[in-house]
Amino acid sequence: MIISRRRFTKAAMGASMVGLARPAIAQTEPIKIGWLAALTGPSSAPGVGFNRGVIFATESINGAGGVKGRKVELITRDTQGDPTKAVNATQEMISQARVHAIWGPTNSGESLAVTPIMARAKMPNIHPCVVDSLIDVQKFPNAFRIAPSNTQWDDAVRNYCLAILKLKKVAVIGDTTGYGVSAVKASVAGFKNDGAEVVYQANIDATQPDLTPDLLRARNAGAEAIVIWSVSTGMEARMMNTRAAMGWDVPFVGHPSLSSGEIGSLIDKPANWDKVYAVGYRSCSYGADGKLQGRNQELVERLAGKVNLSDTLLWWVACGIDAVELVAKAVETRGSSSSEAITGYWNSLSKYNGYFGDYSYSPTQHNGYPTADVVMSAASSAKNGAFALAPGYSGGR
Amino acid sequence: MLASILASGLAVGAIYALIGITYNTMFATSRVMSFTAGQLGMLGGVFGSLFMLRLGWPPVIGLLASLGACALIGVVTEIVAVRPVLKSLEQHLYVLSTLALALMIQQVTAIEWSTEPQPFPKLFGIGSGVFDEKFWLPLVACGLTIAGLELLYRKTLVGRAFLAVAEDNFAARALGLPERNLRIASYALAGAIGGLAGFAGGQLLLAFFANGPLLNFYGFVPVALGGLGNNRGAVIGGLALGVFQQAANFLVGGIFSSVAVFVLFIVVLLAAPQGLFGAPAARRV
Repeated sequence: MIISRRRFTKAAMGASMVGLARPAIAQTEPIKIGWLAALTGPSSAPGVGFNRGVIFATESINGAGGVKGRKVELITRDTQGDPTKAVNATQEMISQARVHAIWGPTNSGESLAVTPIMARAKMPNIHPCVVDSLIDVQKFPNAFRIAPSNTQWDDAVRNYCLAILKLKKVAVIGDTTGYGVSAVKASVAGFKNDGAEVVYQANIDATQPDLTPDLLRARNAGAEAIVIWSVSTGMEARMMNTRAAMGWDVPFVGHPSLSSGEIGSLIDKPANWDKVYAVGYRSCSYGADGKLQGRNQELVERLAGKVNLSDTLLWWVACGIDAVELVAKAVETRGSSSSEAITGYWNSLSKYNGYFGDYSYSPTQHNGYPTADVVMSAASSAKNGAFALAPGYSGGR
Repeated sequence: MLASILASGLAVGAIYALIGITYNTMFATSRVMSFTAGQLGMLGGVFGSLFMLRLGWPPVIGLLASLGACALIGVVTEIVAVRPVLKSLEQHLYVLSTLALALMIQQVTAIEWSTEPQPFPKLFGIGSGVFDEKFWLPLVACGLTIAGLELLYRKTLVGRAFLAVAEDNFAARALGLPERNLRIASYALAGAIGGLAGFAGGQLLLAFFANGPLLNFYGFVPVALGGLGNNRGAVIGGLALGVFQQAANFLVGGIFSSVAVFVLFIVVLLAAPQGLFGAPAARRV
């Protein structure tokens, strides 16, 4: 077909008419949130918990009429914890589903793979992954962290050992995974910087059946607390059983997995789980009265009968709710679902009152979780996915 | 400390020895080193926990069901990963095929069972401290297995047929022995032995999908130390490995103990390539 000047002009006018119609569509089109979730396969427990909060928040917002008449639409992709699947799903969300923001992935391995892709597409992204390098406002100006970083966990553990338990000699033990090795190194460096004495450090294969040698060495070195960085509940339970067999009452302090429900079935007797303190969160910790702080107590009551909390953690559910609400609030406040509007809103937040925490972001700081709210929990005290504060914190909560 | 090294070392060593015997039993009739041996050990613990804890079956039934299930996996190994590559043994394709099946077993277990270790029940509740049943059960299982295999090979016609196929399968076939059926039976037997290793060591290793690669590696060491096909050598090699590994754990720590084990392994192989108890292959002509 020959393109004449007249035809070209008509076509151009037509195209501009379509363009003129876009704002009207934008007023009614759903707010599409891409949700990169590891819902099946290994390490799917957090994804399942987050997902319950995500669905609850979406249904609540849509049930109340949406955001200025716009429904929230979830585009969920099960990544199975596999970075390759996460990359494929991210590209699909950006180029085909054309989502307005992406929530997730929920583990650092996947996030390391997809964060640069999202940065190139200027896709607003909020995630709960702990690896420090995932937040870099120069490289990834659209990426925001909604949970603590590794460093914040480390700070909380160190603060508990040194400032609250008033101990000066610690042993730091991790597993032999990449995470375990790097976490032990960082933790040892932090303790030494704060003037503590690291009397023993080790990385142990998570399948090692007998941990007596390592705990004996730690005891002989004079350790007053054992700091544990591992996600292996088997190794942690063996350490608790070995500690009991040795008749040693040294406190274990460390990774959140120390409070995992799996531990309960692996320890020889319930008392072996005493004096074990895992990283937790003030917002999801109950005080001496057995209740959570006001807003979250109400949330748990609202969730009762709708969202099962008995086999998950409250912070996963609360964090999922907050993530969806942060996107919805951005669109509501700025009146637009554009990338600039959403990231601009997040960058302006100061002590945004979420269920999981009070988030603050700025153009130069995308680690939004307050360090003071990362606390230690009594590991064996799970109730509705929340934990009792470890002894020593003031105010009971 | 010495009691702890011996109790834990001998127990783990007995499990390694049983996995070594699993390797040997599969190798004898097929000339294939099947890398599913460690996974069979892992499955012994997983099936035991599944049948006794989740399904509530009594221990005897749980043991028999676990051994039966592992024997079945052994037969599947023969059909899926071994039989198709037997015609080109010299290309060592079995390394790929058995490793692939081993990986599949591990992944399916991770997805269907759990990625976290699960508890394994106490069977008798006898003993405490270094005499806890989790330490002596693997030793008893290892002793019974060796005794049973000796009886099988020396006193039964089927056992002698196994030996004949292991010695020279062409000659055995020429004599009319059902080589394929014997091979399937030996894989079933190997599956049951691997399963017994995992079942007896369940309290020590827990029912954990990641035990497979560990048992694959450390179960292979006694085979190499004791001489390929030599079960008594595998038992001595396995027990020595377990005690050495546990002593290294006490003396130099977890990560370095693996290094110590493999340094010793390489030194032994340099000194005696056919293994400590193996003889150089010789054939009368």
